[in-house]
Amino acid sequence: MAILETLLHPEYLDLFYFSALGVLFSCLISFLPALHIYNVIGIFLLVILKFEATMAPMQLIALCIGMIVGYSILNTVPATYFGPGDESLSYYILPSAAWVAKGRGVESILLTGVGAVGGIIMLAVLAPAFLWFMPGLKTITSPHMFWILGTVIAYMVLSEWPKGISQSESCWENFLEGWKFLSVGLATFLLSGFLGFIVMAKTLVPIEFAFQSITPVFVGLFAIPWLITNIINIGLIPKQHDPESIEMDWGLICRGTFGGFLGGFFAAYIPIVTAGVGGLMAGHATAQRDGRLFVMSYGTCKTVYYVGSFMLFFIPGLSLTRGGLAWIVTPVVSVLTMKEYALFVALMLFSAGMAYLMLAPFTRMCIWIVEKIEYFWVSVVALLIVIPAVFAFTSWGGLAIMTVSTGIGLLPVMFQARRMNLMGVLLLPVCINMAGYGNDVMRFLGLI
Amino acid sequence: MKGFTHFISGIAVASFFPQAVHMASQEQSFILCLGGIFGIMPDTLDFKFAKYFHKSDFEIKPDPNNLDAMVIAETVAKAIRKAEQEGRGTVQLHTMQLGSNLWRSYTLAFDSATSEVVVDIGPEVDTGQVPFEGTELKDPVKAHARVKVESQFFQQFDKKSQIAIMSGPCFEFVKRGEGKIEIVFLPWHRTWSHSFTLGLLIALLVGIFTFFTVAEGPNPELYSIPRWLLYPLIILFGSMVHIIEDSTGFMGNNLFYPFTKDRTNGLGLMSAAEAIPNFLFVWTSVICILYNLDRFRWAPESTPPGIESVGSYFFWFYAIPLAVMAWFFFKGKREKGSKDKPKSSDFDSATSVERETDASII
Repeated sequence: MAILETLLHPEYLDLFYFSALGVLFSCLISFLPALHIYNVIGIFLLVILKFEATMAPMQLIALCIGMIVGYSILNTVPATYFGPGDESLSYYILPSAAWVAKGRGVESILLTGVGAVGGIIMLAVLAPAFLWFMPGLKTITSPHMFWILGTVIAYMVLSEWPKGISQSESCWENFLEGWKFLSVGLATFLLSGFLGFIVMAKTLVPIEFAFQSITPVFVGLFAIPWLITNIINIGLIPKQHDPESIEMDWGLICRGTFGGFLGGFFAAYIPIVTAGVGGLMAGHATAQRDGRLFVMSYGTCKTVYYVGSFMLFFIPGLSLTRGGLAWIVTPVVSVLTMKEYALFVALMLFSAGMAYLMLAPFTRMCIWIVEKIEYFWVSVVALLIVIPAVFAFTSWGGLAIMTVSTGIGLLPVMFQARRMNLMGVLLLPVCINMAGYGNDVMRFLGLI
Repeated sequence: MKGFTHFISGIAVASFFPQAVHMASQEQSFILCLGGIFGIMPDTLDFKFAKYFHKSDFEIKPDPNNLDAMVIAETVAKAIRKAEQEGRGTVQLHTMQLGSNLWRSYTLAFDSATSEVVVDIGPEVDTGQVPFEGTELKDPVKAHARVKVESQFFQQFDKKSQIAIMSGPCFEFVKRGEGKIEIVFLPWHRTWSHSFTLGLLIALLVGIFTFFTVAEGPNPELYSIPRWLLYPLIILFGSMVHIIEDSTGFMGNNLFYPFTKDRTNGLGLMSAAEAIPNFLFVWTSVICILYNLDRFRWAPESTPPGIESVGSYFFWFYAIPLAVMAWFFFKGKREKGSKDKPKSSDFDSATSVERETDASII
């Protein structure tokens, strides 16, 4: 009752205003191709901090909640039609591209949206339970995070199966054909891992933009290769069917949401692990096979990952800082109580409802754009936005990093290996640093 | 079982060694990962190595421009006839790739009631195995074939095998008692790699290596197993749990290769691709890992536990989910049972019930 009174107090209505503003802003951010929310919020923070005095900490948090919830639901649309911004999205993009090719892009987006809302509802329902079991989980796992990351890496590498379809008489020829894909995957993982070490130890990004040092890496690894692929493979997007209803049942919703929640929660809780990696593991753990199930489950997974990692930060007494957004708001938050936690849940539900209502019109708008403007030009314009944006915030050093990252990012595209291997850029250095071997590796690489 | 199930089960097994948990938390050791790596290792050996070096007696590479189901069925029948005469015969079926995302599908079935090999040329499909309407073969003579063989044959389940995308399956035909021919699906899979003997051999080699290279760690008086022995034991039990899990399915393993020649049948309790059994093993492993990490935490007298009540932990996080999984599993079985009333297989009708050849689900 006390919580309800708190939520309905007129004093807090401005928070809903800022959340709504955040959702609208996320619409704009997710519409810009190839930009990740954490990068944009980082840039946005530069502006916000200048008039920090006019904005209370909780208002800034409400704005961030609106942005992250809105982004996690709406980003599916531009990712489907314009290209993924990060690894979490590129995991989804290949299956969704198949739906788009069949004119069923809207259906895929709406299924993802249902999954996303399902994930938000699960987060809200489990919010009281988090208070009960999260402290215990943190106590148990804290000393073990580095090897848990090690197992994630090991599974990522070991679970990539050969794709070669050589039908030669020679066993060795077939073997080498199959291993070509695996070798590219391994090379991608190791190269991106070395790049991660270099960027973390000796970044070329100017010190005043240090918080953006990872931006050119991500843009290079994920966004630009996708845009280049779009530009080279000039293809027409077929007429998109706008369905009056979509086929689903409670069984599909429950299975999709459950599997996606597991993956998203794992990714939210374990540092560095993204929704793509979490989704892969949860998909295998729950033996998902159905295409609709995958799409819906992905919606839940990425939403739980983005929003859940921010939500963990608000659990009173837990001090669990996961995800870029939690780090961004850390300086403005002094004390976190049950009141803030309850407000977080309320604002999250409000933002999710608003974002879901915007999903269909936003999708139609994107379809209108891709039908009016050639896909080739959309990708060219996106490229022309992204490169100057990286230059503006990270200077020549950032451009240099972005160029190298693009080279590595093109490897899995060209050889049809898993793009997830590019996450080696964070997984490898962080895992090795957490295990205490970081300095040895950096010494070996001549970085210190 | 899925690769992930084996992987996490291997980690769970490793977490039962207190010294391994202490090494992880106190010495930044990745030893627990070893259980996971060797948990998935048998399938890695099969699908990344053994698959490529298996030689078949017959290979079927259908010509997409001159499709004829009879040619395929006849070649399969030849392999069966070879088994009738020589004891064993193998056939490898290849896929037909027509474009970057376009394949021609066909199915192969063995009708044990009539001793016939049944082949159907299917429609063109994309890599997601979604068929393109109107691409079916128009000529029924070329599209469907049945070839009779002398011997009776038997297999574990009467299902069509769909050959559509990536690499196709391989079949071995083995002459058994009373002249019956056993049909063995993927003969290179779950043989030497899924044997107790290989696990033991690797553990032995690693044990010899660690005996000479791994020094005793701090506080040896706390442990009953010397540190050098931990590594081979984790490897052995990690690979064993894979074999045990696979034995719950249909295909089984060759437990004592090379002393035993063939795969034994599995218990047939569940299918490798079923969601709930896979998740049951995964969830059990997660619960065990967390429980072991907590009870084997370093300095338990001065470190608060993460699990305050073991009974409550197992009740809320294991018994309740287990009951929910059991309810859904048996509900699914009942529903499936009521749908599958006619027991005889109809190989000539269009059906989506096919046997999987995809590595990721086996």
